[in-house]
Amino acid sequence: MGVPKEDNGRGGVRPDAVPSVASGGSDAVGPTDAPARPRASGPIDPRLLRRGRATAGYMAGGVLIGCLTAILTVLQAWVLSRAIAGVFDAAPGLDYTSPVPGTGAWPALGGIIATLAAIFGGKALLAWLNTLLAHRAAASVKSRLRRDVMAARLASPLDDRTSSAGLVNLLTVGLDALDGFYAKYLPQLLLAVTVPLIVGVAILTADLTSAIIVALTLPLIPVFMMLVGWTTEARTARRWRTQQRLARHFADLVAGLPTLQVFGRAKAQAIGLRKTEDAHRAETMGTLRISFLSALVLELLATLSVAVVAVTIGFRVVHHEIDLATALFVLILAPEAFLPVRQVGVHYHDAADGMAAAQQAFDVIEGAEAPDVRAEEAPEVRAPASLEGPAATALVRVDAVGHTYPGASGPAVTGVSFDVAPGELVVLTGPSGGGKTTVLNALVGFLSPTTGTVQVPERRRIAYVGQNPGMLAGTIADNVRLGDARASDAGVADALTRAGAPGMDPARTVGDDGEGLSAGERRRVATARALVRIDAGADLMLLDEPTAGLDAEAEEALLRSLRATGVAAVVVSHRPAVLAEADRVVVIGGSANGEGGAS
Amino acid sequence: MDLVARLLRAAPGGWARIALAVLLAACASFSSVALMGVSAWLLSRAAEHPPVMYLTAAAVLVRAFGISRGVFRYLERLVGHDIGLRLQSALRLDTYSTLARTTLLGRRRGDLLTRVVADVDAVLDLVVRVLLPFLSGLFVILATTVVIGVFSWPAAFALLLSAVLAGGVAPWLAARLSARADAASVPARGELANVVHELARTAPDLVAYEADGAALDRLAEADAKLAAIDARAAWTRGLATAVQALAAGVAVVAGLWFGTQAVRAGTLDHTMLAVLTLVPLALHEVFNDFTKAAQTWTRARVALDRVREVLSTNAVGSGDLPASDPVAVPRLAVRDLTIGWPGAAPLASGLDFTVGPGERVALVGPSGVGKTTLAATVLGLIPPVAGRVEVEGRVGYLAQDTHVFSTTVSENVRIGNRAATEDDVADALAQVRLDVDPGRLVGELGTALSGGEQRRLGLSRLVVGDAQVLVLDEPSEHLDPGTADALLDDVWAQASDKPLLVITHDPGVVSRCDRVVQLG
Repeated sequence: MGVPKEDNGRGGVRPDAVPSVASGGSDAVGPTDAPARPRASGPIDPRLLRRGRATAGYMAGGVLIGCLTAILTVLQAWVLSRAIAGVFDAAPGLDYTSPVPGTGAWPALGGIIATLAAIFGGKALLAWLNTLLAHRAAASVKSRLRRDVMAARLASPLDDRTSSAGLVNLLTVGLDALDGFYAKYLPQLLLAVTVPLIVGVAILTADLTSAIIVALTLPLIPVFMMLVGWTTEARTARRWRTQQRLARHFADLVAGLPTLQVFGRAKAQAIGLRKTEDAHRAETMGTLRISFLSALVLELLATLSVAVVAVTIGFRVVHHEIDLATALFVLILAPEAFLPVRQVGVHYHDAADGMAAAQQAFDVIEGAEAPDVRAEEAPEVRAPASLEGPAATALVRVDAVGHTYPGASGPAVTGVSFDVAPGELVVLTGPSGGGKTTVLNALVGFLSPTTGTVQVPERRRIAYVGQNPGMLAGTIADNVRLGDARASDAGVADALTRAGAPGMDPARTVGDDGEGLSAGERRRVATARALVRIDAGADLMLLDEPTAGLDAEAEEALLRSLRATGVAAVVVSHRPAVLAEADRVVVIGGSANGEGGAS
Repeated sequence: MDLVARLLRAAPGGWARIALAVLLAACASFSSVALMGVSAWLLSRAAEHPPVMYLTAAAVLVRAFGISRGVFRYLERLVGHDIGLRLQSALRLDTYSTLARTTLLGRRRGDLLTRVVADVDAVLDLVVRVLLPFLSGLFVILATTVVIGVFSWPAAFALLLSAVLAGGVAPWLAARLSARADAASVPARGELANVVHELARTAPDLVAYEADGAALDRLAEADAKLAAIDARAAWTRGLATAVQALAAGVAVVAGLWFGTQAVRAGTLDHTMLAVLTLVPLALHEVFNDFTKAAQTWTRARVALDRVREVLSTNAVGSGDLPASDPVAVPRLAVRDLTIGWPGAAPLASGLDFTVGPGERVALVGPSGVGKTTLAATVLGLIPPVAGRVEVEGRVGYLAQDTHVFSTTVSENVRIGNRAATEDDVADALAQVRLDVDPGRLVGELGTALSGGEQRRLGLSRLVVGDAQVLVLDEPSEHLDPGTADALLDDVWAQASDKPLLVITHDPGVVSRCDRVVQLG
């Protein structure tokens, strides 16, 4: 099933506000063969073909299979038409109105049937091969996209424009829609090129007039479909938007049911839902009446031209202009010339779903490649601090750093400068939303500031604890060992103790997304993670609100542990106890521009 | 199927519409078969060089079938989608009403809610892509078999056999085998989802600790496992396609063989041989999409089974919060209360506390002891297992995941009180210090609100509804400390003279309360 991405990036809709593939509720038209979609961006997204050589190999194989299938089809028509005409002539019948005895020379059916069996067997084999080949291509492109999307996500770790649930959906169900693209649409597209060409040439060798009829109508199909598409585009797009809005109403209501119930309004909304549903159906039918038109044009042209060919050759057979065998040969082949073109229309939907998913994947990949969120660039502004001239003693140097997030109206932070000497504890404080975390993220290298420079040691010397630390599925020990894979059991237990969690069992299981751990426990595990990193030789800690949610006593203990490591630390905090412990306090952000009233 | 039948009965003219759609679909498919058959006869008859007038009727028929196929198909699509959408709407309403009757607060059913939305859509698939092609295909097969049978019953029998093979056995086989492959791929798919989820959630930590390369390797591993299973599925899908191609061959060869025998024996006019041979060719084109239809059927059935399960589940609790009247002195008290979901084991018992006006009571306890269940009980959404809940005054609940509906801010606030005027809304927004334009579109299709803003919006619903007793569920969860503090300041200001019960595990919130009730 597919959810069209028509709203993506339009009309102020944030990309993550668009429901991910198969999140449902919005594809009333989705599962049907509606060829004319409002946004038809050409038959194939070129980016999809550029991905991997698998596609190129597949295209070559697909063309070959297409050609062979077409040749077998021509052979089949030839054998069949000869055989039928042979029997026809052998049997007694009429000529004009007088009975004729027939030639009596019955064709040898055994050989004919063996040939036909071979031809149909060959076609079956080719169809099978095509399925396997298409699957190979789809699988390799999917693997490649999965890797690229996740690499892009890691390249800009703070980029949460696509939610993690959205990513999961995209990389599993979403990309599976590419199977439809590769297994159905692309093969059909190739057949639509090769088969009419080969079949057309075959008809041409048999009968010029029929070849002309086919050659004239076949190109008319795409032309008329485009004409219908163009003339109805604006209307379809408008209806489509209304329809999408109405379609999401149900999903929105269901998701908000607990909220509605708390206000005693859930049952009452059913009346509104009924109205919306009726309006939705009316809109959808309106869209479909238009978008099925192009399918109608296609069917009409294809079948009518076969009919015209049949009638034309029929009358020419009467007038001895062509013989029965040739006429039957043309009759069998004429629909075959149109069949692949018609099937392209049928499978367009599979392609549209696949391309929508691919489009979303490319958006994630290219979003990470955009210069303003490219975190991988960050190391380029880094240099080992020890190589610096006068301030050789500084471990960290932040010089006139400012940062504006893409799309934001103003800078999140401006003109921040400070140095951190080895062993120094520097606390960044200031109002909520003032940009403390932005500065810290620049230090970790998650973002490169838009102005100013940041110099920090390379990553292996940094131990980092974020505001909402990420937890891996596994054990507590696994999570601590993210800091240092070689840490001993004793080292892990010791780090947990120093992080303020002395009783925590390192073998305790951590579920998905840190399930089973409270926010405070997570923070302590992450702190232990940073501590084993320090034990392994890191000499700079970057901590975001490490004592949030801790009582005064626990806070005190944690600060003592941090101090005891003796390494430099940059800590974002507004807690008085932390500020009191600081060697230096840097105030960031003069005016609150987020939630007011920070303490 | 019984679900569809039930919906069809409920929809006005349901059966008639579906019958019409099947008829139209059958006519469309039959047109293309007839086009081939009549054309074949026309050519054969023409080879006897009769006077042209003997052929005009056939020529007219051929042209008519050439046009009718497209027209019938167009009409079939419209009628089929119309009834499909009607059934979908009916099912949506059914599902919504059923869900609305049962209390959902505090039940971990978020997954169910989002899935049921997608599952309901399967009914359209079932009608348009399964029911119509199969039923109409059946008609066309039977009609064609009867017509061919008039001329040669062995050829007709072979045709029927090949049609069953291509239109029945092959799709059934493909659906069965791919269902098995799908089942086999579930764990692999789950693992891939887990890896992706973890990578996305822990990206900053993985990058900061240089574990991103290893994480991508884990992804590649999960991906390879899934790809291997998918490859087996593709193999069987290919097999089904091949069987269909072979079945077409069998039908054509049989037509030629039996036709020729009949012509030689003098039991069949030689003009009919082309018809017997070429009609199977056209008929088998109808089966092209049957494999896909069978797979859609498998998937739709699973989805609709889940919907049916939702529809047949008994209602729990009251669903909607019962209306209550304002009082002069609001109060909340529980007496020797035992809480639990109806039909499940009690979660906690012996609860006994009172919250008077202006009092703030924190309810703490480890996760899973039923804090939200207590909230649902206090609100009156589910009955107490034992004991009593006494609430005097209008009770209002602030959830930690307030849903923001995809509409204007003003409409969102009015969830708290349908009768609120524009001024009431503006006033409520000002009171909770939410500085947004009431006309702004928010939610999925509008701009997003931050976590703090969402909770303020939830609070404004309580203000506009004039809630007298406040129950808060983890008000500081998922908010950064500054935002949480600011929000709590404002909530406390709102609740200055009201009883306030706050469920929390945040020490910062507990420290703001007068008393603590321990649960579990």
